[in-house]
Amino acid sequence: MKTWPLIWAGLAVVALVLARAVAVPDGWLWPPQAMHLPLARWISAGMAWLTDSAAIGPVTVKDLTRGFARLIEAPYEAARVLLVEGITEGRGRRATTIVPPLSWVAVTVAAVALGHYARDIWLGLIAGALMLYLAVFGQWDSAMITLASIVIAVPLGVAGGLGLGIAALHWRPFERVLSPVLDLMQTVPTFAYLVPVLVLFGFGPVAALLATVIYAMPPMVRVTLVALRGVPPEIVDFANMAGCTPGQRMRKVMLPVALPDLMVGVNQVIMLSLNMVIIASMIGAGGLGADVLESLRRLNIGGGIEAGLAITALAVVLDRLGQALATRAGGGRGAKGNWLRRHPRTVLVLAVTLISAAAGYLIPAVQDWPKEWTVTTKGFWADLMQWINVNYYDQLEALRNWTLVNLLIPVKDFLLALPWPFVLGTVALAGWALGGWRLAALTGALGLFLAATGLWEQAMITLYLCGVSVLIAMCIGVPLGIWAASGETAGKVIGAVIDTLQTLPSFVYLIPVVMLFRVGDFSAMIAVVLYALVPAVRYTAHGLRSVPEELIEAGIVSGATRGQILRKIRLPMAVPMMLLGLNQTILLALSMLVITALVGTRDLGQEVYIALTKADVGRGLVAGLSVAAIAIIADRLIGAAAKGARERLEGGA
Amino acid sequence: MTRMCLARAAATATALVLFGGMALAEVESEDPIKLTLHDWTGQLITTNIMAAVLEEAGYNVELVQADYLAQFAGLETGDLHVAMEIWETTGREAMDAAVAKGGVVNMGETGMLAKEEWWYPLYMKEKCPGLPDWKALNDCAAAFATAETGAKGRYLGGPVTWGGFDEERIAALGLNYEVIHAGTDAAMFAELESAYQRKDPILLWVYAPHWAPQKYEGEWVEFPPYEAACYTDPAWGSNPTATHDCGKPFGPIWKVGWAGLPEKWPGADKAIRAFHIENDAMGAMIAKVDLDGQTVEDVVNEWMDANEATWSAWIAK
Amino acid sequence: MTRPVKLACRHVWKLYGPHPERLVGKSPSLDEIRASGHVGAVRDVSLNIGEGEIFVIMGLSGSGKSTLVRCLSRLIEPTAGEILYDGEDLLKASPARMIEIRRHHMGMVFQHFALLPHLTVLENVAFPLEVQGMARPAREARAREVIALVGLQGREGHYPRQLSGGQQQRVGIARSLAVEPDLWFLDEPFSALDPLIRREMQEEFLRIQKQLKKTIVFITHDFDEAIRLADHIAIMKDGAVVQVASPEELVLAPADDYVRAFTAHVSRAKVITLGRIAVPGVPADVAGTLPAEARVEAVAEQVVTAGRPFAVEREGAVIGHVTPQAVIDVLIGRGG
Repeated sequence: MKTWPLIWAGLAVVALVLARAVAVPDGWLWPPQAMHLPLARWISAGMAWLTDSAAIGPVTVKDLTRGFARLIEAPYEAARVLLVEGITEGRGRRATTIVPPLSWVAVTVAAVALGHYARDIWLGLIAGALMLYLAVFGQWDSAMITLASIVIAVPLGVAGGLGLGIAALHWRPFERVLSPVLDLMQTVPTFAYLVPVLVLFGFGPVAALLATVIYAMPPMVRVTLVALRGVPPEIVDFANMAGCTPGQRMRKVMLPVALPDLMVGVNQVIMLSLNMVIIASMIGAGGLGADVLESLRRLNIGGGIEAGLAITALAVVLDRLGQALATRAGGGRGAKGNWLRRHPRTVLVLAVTLISAAAGYLIPAVQDWPKEWTVTTKGFWADLMQWINVNYYDQLEALRNWTLVNLLIPVKDFLLALPWPFVLGTVALAGWALGGWRLAALTGALGLFLAATGLWEQAMITLYLCGVSVLIAMCIGVPLGIWAASGETAGKVIGAVIDTLQTLPSFVYLIPVVMLFRVGDFSAMIAVVLYALVPAVRYTAHGLRSVPEELIEAGIVSGATRGQILRKIRLPMAVPMMLLGLNQTILLALSMLVITALVGTRDLGQEVYIALTKADVGRGLVAGLSVAAIAIIADRLIGAAAKGARERLEGGA
Repeated sequence: MTRMCLARAAATATALVLFGGMALAEVESEDPIKLTLHDWTGQLITTNIMAAVLEEAGYNVELVQADYLAQFAGLETGDLHVAMEIWETTGREAMDAAVAKGGVVNMGETGMLAKEEWWYPLYMKEKCPGLPDWKALNDCAAAFATAETGAKGRYLGGPVTWGGFDEERIAALGLNYEVIHAGTDAAMFAELESAYQRKDPILLWVYAPHWAPQKYEGEWVEFPPYEAACYTDPAWGSNPTATHDCGKPFGPIWKVGWAGLPEKWPGADKAIRAFHIENDAMGAMIAKVDLDGQTVEDVVNEWMDANEATWSAWIAK
Repeated sequence: MTRPVKLACRHVWKLYGPHPERLVGKSPSLDEIRASGHVGAVRDVSLNIGEGEIFVIMGLSGSGKSTLVRCLSRLIEPTAGEILYDGEDLLKASPARMIEIRRHHMGMVFQHFALLPHLTVLENVAFPLEVQGMARPAREARAREVIALVGLQGREGHYPRQLSGGQQQRVGIARSLAVEPDLWFLDEPFSALDPLIRREMQEEFLRIQKQLKKTIVFITHDFDEAIRLADHIAIMKDGAVVQVASPEELVLAPADDYVRAFTAHVSRAKVITLGRIAVPGVPADVAGTLPAEARVEAVAEQVVTAGRPFAVEREGAVIGHVTPQAVIDVLIGRGG
């Protein structure tokens, strides 16, 4: 083991020499043309075949997918009628409402009641207050459009995840196929599959909904597998001994027993669906996502922030209610008596719904929050931006230039100057050092894939932007994590900031960042760092907090100072967890790079984005798969390192 | 779905009794005509006006969010039916390709003219007095330079996907400038807004109809005027060995539709072909939305009320 | 006293590893199994379990006892062998037939109770009946009966997590009895309980068995528990059965050192029956009559206090008598 540092140092020296001094012959710097596989063309051709002529018997694939889309459209339309449109007569400007949608009063009361049912009145009040925020800030209509698609996307994602998870549980070969597919679903940037989804399922909200489901489903599959495997074997034995048929065993025993764990997956589906809101609005989902995009397009930063915070508010409401329901699962029975007495909240909500609908005809304010009552902070944000811009631009510009000249440009030049066989070799060697020949084969193969796509340059730029951003994110995130773990108050404050950063759509801060730092890599880097910071902080704090109390006590008894305990006990013990945080940081950074393509980077993300706007299925998927390849290489290498670190700790303990 | 349909049928029946005289005109097909929406205000207004007019004629209309270029895939298959704004400058290539494949038809000009060119705020004239003539650009390259571009001037181009041949133009005209591509329209105007607030140098791609030329005072750079030969024939223009030694093309904004549309909804086809609106009217409406903060819906309603004579003619039998 | 055989197994093997089927035909030794990279969880086990008896399978952890009981109930598919339930080979039964047998003839109690956390006590106990498709009123009435049998009346509406460990296992017992099984498997039912509760539950178990007379397969790692409850004990080691015998025989004649290690510290009074120490003939001054199956420990106080001999009878016939001195000898470990 001791020789590895020497080998790495040697490689670094070779790399520097290669990058600086030696003139690399043609075909060594970037993979030669002859190596390129026309993957994009193949995929596009395959896709064209699939949509134009592929058929199962008399039914074409396209009919099948379109039929599926119509199947989903029906409940989605129903949700929209309920939340957004009501039942109307006539068209366009002549439309008159016959039955209004649920009023803001009814929805807010329903949120309070659900909160009360799930935990207590406080949760109810928080949920109600956040719903009120939507009304007061004039986000109600858009929020309901978004909610309508979420209430369809989430059950679909959950059901699909459950189905796939159960199938994988029962059928090992399927699991083996599914696992890499899930990896890809989670790492291929969403932009890359928007076009195929559009082509297969038609334009409109349903395609957006399906893209959301594809994006949000993988964690549910994984959680389902883990949760069902986690059902105690005795309980499975019991189910068999009770004479359950396989169906009964799943429905009556396994799923209910695994419910609390499954709810974690449901929560993930909810959060990821809300993450997709903006991207989905690019292909026609409407709602809050469209508002954010629209505001930013008009440089209405305040509007963007308000709509973005509305997404955060929805996310918080759904997340908290979901978590409360999960912990409540299997809770006590309510009061006795007839149906009315047993369901006081349901009765209340129904009553409020009917009364507010009726009252809405007389007092419109009950149905729709009046425009005159809405509050906005748009002016404040615009003024703030202008103030910073006018007064501090020079300082910001100096910072930007310094970073560009001293960090970004040198790293970029360095990476672009490395010959591809050298990079490939290094990746494979790292795989071998950390996880043996199998990992080496995997990382080497993925690296070769990158070389064969003909996107080597873009891949290297991706590597550079992602690498620098991750480095900075770790430099900021780890100290923040240490600080958060140091005390309760610090932990709470940082936790709240981090939660907001994670649910606030990144688009919201993309435009202000451009206004202050101009288009280019630096702006992209800031946006990536802001987004990818979250796991760095969270995992560090978690790792430090979960160091066994005994070890700390042992340190105190040995007379270690606080600093020594941190350096010699807490941090080393937290290393495996921090590595996982690093892993997540990299994955988030890669997913964010695709979005920063919107501010003018020239990496794989841009390639995916160009393909999206040109509706080029093959090109988008190839670039997307390249991003996935980088993500999987990083994930496996760090995963192996974390495993090694954990084994060393446990072996030594 | 069935229940909803029943509810609608019942409601229709009631409505017919109540407003017996106002029954809508017969239309060729009750299927919804799908118009595409993109992400710029002008297009939203154009499309919403068209939708409102078709609804007045009794058609069932649906508005679908779709990407500007990706929509051609949908138009070819009949998933989508009408795209109201295909710009000569940015969409011509895709439009021609789709028309050539069949499945898509050009439904004529909208009456609006697209213009896009290099643009600078008026205050830059003090630092570069020779403007708007393009020949002055090289003399004040330093004024437009930044740390990134070194001695070269910085020109903020549109997103890579917009094309525009700016790299070729710079080479052909021997300009000492570098193109920095914005990822999106929004990012591009964010930079303009920021620079304008500080009265900092900026040179960028602006297009019209758009709110930016209304909001900010500025001028277009005047390049040698575009001719088709300039883009194809190296001999054309000041540089005998290079193409693209001229400005960008100006041209109409086209309407495009699904090839099956004229057959399925002949009346709608006629109305869409008749649609006509001019730059000034559109510019004013865009400004109302983007600068005064009115909603698209209100602006469209205002226009519909004020121009009943105009649009009635489009749908007259 | 021989009983009709209710459940039997013949040459049952359960091997884990790359090619268990290939290996099992060769009747491999333990070393051969290990050398070929397999694990022998159950090796060539043959047992006869008589109707109405408590048959205890005793072994330390890893000895294969849990695997064996799961082979007997076919929760685990044995690699080879036969499992005969009333003469029917369970390993040849179709899945539907297996479900049928389990629904009506088998019950099982688990070490960690295996209660369904989302159901109340009543719903848990009624669950096996619900699975059969019995209507709610009927199954709840039956569930209430068994809940009363285990002494949990009044807690029907509680959730498992609101109960103590002992109470939870009572629910487990009630649930396994709800379908009135003939075969009752108990897999270390009391191991997870505190010693005091364990003792109480063992007595409760004996009381219930006296009432119901089920055929019982009882798994434990606790030798004291085994000899306390068993009619017959099978001792397992490394997947094989070392000895099958009554507790008394086991203590008096351990088959090998392994068994002897368990029996060495067992108080003989706990296992030796009056039948074994009875001497022929009946003196005139007997204080009473005791059954031959009674264990010395259970009757010692009665005999010593009386200070006179007792007659001993088996199946209604007097076979001899025991004296207080003989009882004391056993108690202090003299002779025997």
